[in-house]
Amino acid sequence: MKQVIVHPERCVGCMQCMLACAAAHSKTGALISAISESPRPKPRIHVGAGLYDEGFPNRCRHCNPAPCQMACLPGAIYRQTTTNTVLINPDVCINCASCAMACPYGVIRYHADPLGPAGKTIAVKCDNCIARQHKGLIPACVEVCKVGALTFEEMDAAMKKKTDQVARSMSAEAIAADHAPGFSLLNTIKRAQKEINLSR
Amino acid sequence: MTHHHNYTITKDGQLLIKKMESDQVETVWDRHAAQQPQCGFCDLGLSCRICAMGPCRVDPFGEGPQQGVCGADADIIVARNLCRMIAAGAAAHSDHGRDLVEVLAEVAENKAPGYAITDTEKLNRVAAEYGIAADGKTPEQVAGELAHAMQEDFGTRKKELALVTRAPEKRQQLWRKLNIMPRGIDRETSEAMHRTHMGVDNGWQSLLLHGLRNALSDGWGGSMIATEVSDILFGTPKPAPTKVNAGVLKADQVNVVVHGHNPVVSEMVMAACQDPEMTKLAEEKGAKGINLCGLCCTGNELLMRHGIPMAGNHLMTELIIATGAIEMMIVDYQCIMPALSKVAACYHTKMISTSDKARFPGMEHVEFHPDNARKKAYDVVKAAIENFANRGETYIPVEPLDAVGGFSVEAVVGALGGTPEPLLDAIKAGKIRGAAGIVGCNNPKIKHDYGHVTLTKRLIENDILVVDTGCAAVATAKAGFKVADAISHAGPGLKEVCGSLGIPPVLHFGSCVDNVRILVLAAALANALGTDISDLPLAGAAPEWYSEKAVSIGAYVVASGIYTVLGPMPPIAGSMNVVELLTKGLGEVVGATFAVEPDPEKAAVLIRGHIENQRRKLGLDATEV
Ligand code: SF4
Ligand code: SF4
Ligand code: SF4
Ligand code: SF4
Repeated sequence: MKQVIVHPERCVGCMQCMLACAAAHSKTGALISAISESPRPKPRIHVGAGLYDEGFPNRCRHCNPAPCQMACLPGAIYRQTTTNTVLINPDVCINCASCAMACPYGVIRYHADPLGPAGKTIAVKCDNCIARQHKGLIPACVEVCKVGALTFEEMDAAMKKKTDQVARSMSAEAIAADHAPGFSLLNTIKRAQKEINLSR
Repeated sequence: MTHHHNYTITKDGQLLIKKMESDQVETVWDRHAAQQPQCGFCDLGLSCRICAMGPCRVDPFGEGPQQGVCGADADIIVARNLCRMIAAGAAAHSDHGRDLVEVLAEVAENKAPGYAITDTEKLNRVAAEYGIAADGKTPEQVAGELAHAMQEDFGTRKKELALVTRAPEKRQQLWRKLNIMPRGIDRETSEAMHRTHMGVDNGWQSLLLHGLRNALSDGWGGSMIATEVSDILFGTPKPAPTKVNAGVLKADQVNVVVHGHNPVVSEMVMAACQDPEMTKLAEEKGAKGINLCGLCCTGNELLMRHGIPMAGNHLMTELIIATGAIEMMIVDYQCIMPALSKVAACYHTKMISTSDKARFPGMEHVEFHPDNARKKAYDVVKAAIENFANRGETYIPVEPLDAVGGFSVEAVVGALGGTPEPLLDAIKAGKIRGAAGIVGCNNPKIKHDYGHVTLTKRLIENDILVVDTGCAAVATAKAGFKVADAISHAGPGLKEVCGSLGIPPVLHFGSCVDNVRILVLAAALANALGTDISDLPLAGAAPEWYSEKAVSIGAYVVASGIYTVLGPMPPIAGSMNVVELLTKGLGEVVGATFAVEPDPEKAAVLIRGHIENQRRKLGLDATEV
């Protein structure tokens, strides 16, 4: 089963994933029309700034067992096993925020949702774009990410790739491969600037 | 999976895309696909790269930042970005005009061998508008004084540009009242860059108003000078037959293609190609002659004045190289995709860049200046002939189509018997409902030529006379709308009028800078009626625009009082305030607005509706649309 995998070291912080996620969870589905909808659709993935202001796409990990699910007394949170997705039933949610307190990643937000009950504030989080997946599409955030910071793949294959990558970096003859020197330079500069700022 | 039918409506385009696919050469559509999805912030106009506290972006969903580091909100950021697009477009057109004035000045000093004053009558007429008397002077003396006076238009020494007096009196007063009368061509662009610097003009309305003034400095300044001086130097266009599409290339001749915008280069290349010495050389190398063809606007310039055939418009510029039949492509500036040399490297085509301000990777640079252009032209044409020996297999996919170009205002008024009255009479009688100027580029976001051709077809069916320029003009020529017989596509009234004059229902008005010919004609019609341009049953459209120049054109057309429908959405949707001002509010300010409608069928309905409305307001018969 394919899952969204985050490669934070590649994120350029363009926030495209946020726009695409919000548009995918809007009534009209297109960015330009979505921004004038009411309530305004909001992203379920959030790009945060790291220690050196580098981008970091933060999204629900669909943990198993899921702390949010265990914290939800009314039982609004459940797992769709076919896609391994932790979902929230908006009709059952009582907006108690227990799930957010339990979530170690802070990915649950509370607002009225274009696709939820009208006027009701509910807990909202990443749903792995199951509506898109049912249409044969991959999650919107993965589709828009032009730098491969988000991928949609089999966990086993992804882990194998990661293992090989780490193994290569450990071998004696390792030549550090820099896939995006400009980006590394930018990050180096950002880091240096931050360090200068912090040391003053 | 191939999609070449989805990319273009043209047969030559489809066949050449297919060939490039099998040759495994990338096209603009491949690169466009690889860019998808494009950045939403930039698309909405919500990213700002103006200063180094940034780059900044405003979250259109209201969740993230709502202002840049400096505090600029969505309205300010969008307005600044748009203003800068206008400034870039106006700068491009006006710098092109400046190059022509420079040639005029050097012709006056006898320092530009090969160039001459071709239309002395026009020289004297334009000089008179600048207050320069011609009597007792040689054309060179007049040219020298005119060049000097025009150079002053570029600076800041005047309160108003010279040629704005061509606009109706009411329009000029409105511009003065709004404080958007253009003062100096360079001044307005410079001021646009100043105002959009961090911490200067943060009134999004005042920014946009200055954008209009900057655009007017292009339309009634830089572009108008470019057209007038080109006419003086190279001749005022008269209707002449030509051929269009990829079929204009000849399998047995040396094919030389000029691409870009500046006739200063292409006119000299033409002279070299037509020299019998060169033809002889070509024959010695086994070719049956030299075939000069055009692309984009430098092609339009040559087509309008000399009937040089036209190989294609913007999105055809890469494809045409894949014919394998082009010995040399000579480029100057604007709209030349840096990808061209990569494509050319897959075939035998030699690429030559010619302008001191435009370099391209992988092209040989042969710099043309007024004093050496003639010699350089011979050098490159010789090299093209030499390259004929390197030709491999060629693939010229279609037969060329006939077209007529060369409709300057002078030619149109001439065809009407010396005054615009007969055209006005036909409009008053309702045989012609009104006129539309269809202009602008191609954009891979819109199926190639579909917007231009569909809109034109619907308008002429509705008895609306179409005048067009630039890539739009090439598109309709390739669709067969630019021959006298094309009146069969027109509605009964337009058919009758064009039929009796022996002209097509779609008139080729020239290159993109030649949009000013449309302004001059509109002003003449308004003056003949004693009214303002905004009262006339006119409309503008740019169904497939892509360039910053097109943004400037759209802005000066609207500021001149002509309702304009755009195909692609400009990057302004991040500020609904800006969108509303441009599509509604401007009506109360300058008497015209923009509309955005990517579907040309619907755009045609908008234009017909607008024209009927204008007729009603003028007290002419009007139908409900
Ligand atoms: S689209 Fe990709 S690179 Fe851009 S912010 Fe999102 S995760 Fe980062
Ligand atoms: S807010 Fe909703 S989802 Fe969260 S614990 Fe309460 S009921 Fe459950
Ligand atoms: S919301 Fe948080 S706790 Fe719940 S499954 Fe997702 S990541 Fe885990
Ligand atoms: S001008 Fe303002 S909005 Fe633009 S980059 Fe600078 S700080 Fe950001």
